[in-house]
Amino acid sequence: MKDINDPVKVQKEILKKVYLFSLLPIISSLLAGEFKVLFGFIFGLVIATLLLRLKYNNIVRALSMQEESAEKFIRNRYFLEYALYFFVLFTAARNDNLNFLAATVGLFMIKFVVLLWTVADLVKDSFQNKLDQYK
Amino acid sequence: MVQFSPEVIDTIIRAAALLGAGFAMIAGIGPGVGQGYAAGKAVESVARDPEARGNIITTMLLGQAVAESTGIYSLVIAIVLIFTI
Repeated sequence: MKDINDPVKVQKEILKKVYLFSLLPIISSLLAGEFKVLFGFIFGLVIATLLLRLKYNNIVRALSMQEESAEKFIRNRYFLEYALYFFVLFTAARNDNLNFLAATVGLFMIKFVVLLWTVADLVKDSFQNKLDQYK
Repeated sequence: MVQFSPEVIDTIIRAAALLGAGFAMIAGIGPGVGQGYAAGKAVESVARDPEARGNIITTMLLGQAVAESTGIYSLVIAIVLIFTI
């Protein structure tokens, strides 16, 4: 992560990586002619992006509150987001034009990328440390 | 030995799936409580060191984004149990 002190930049960096990773399933489903998978994946990805933005706004709002009210606020917002996730998955499950599994993967793309990124940073750091030791 | 008709067995399976979906939804409570606790601690940290605000927001955003995965896993399992069985 380049600039951890600027959350907006980090968000943009994450989204850039997410879209880059998403090109693979999008192109492969396009080539295979699986349009249900494509629509499901894009549906999940768009909702995940919007929910990340919503989460950022909620966190910024919570940090201007008292400790207890921030705790309550974030908890309540989590349950609202959870309800949104339910409606998205429910829609994907009921709609014949959307693939449920693809929508789920689209929803999880941001989480996968954040985890992959962290693991890659850890591996890079440990590799760099070993290189420095040999020098 | 008691013999059940196929309709009764289907009903039992359906009821068990719905019960399982309900139990799976319990997992959705944990991340909410955890995220609320983290938010409280973040407010405390910002009050102690206002210059670290950006750093705290980034860490919290990434942490919360990953933390709610377990809740969504349970939601997916519940929906699969409801709609496929």
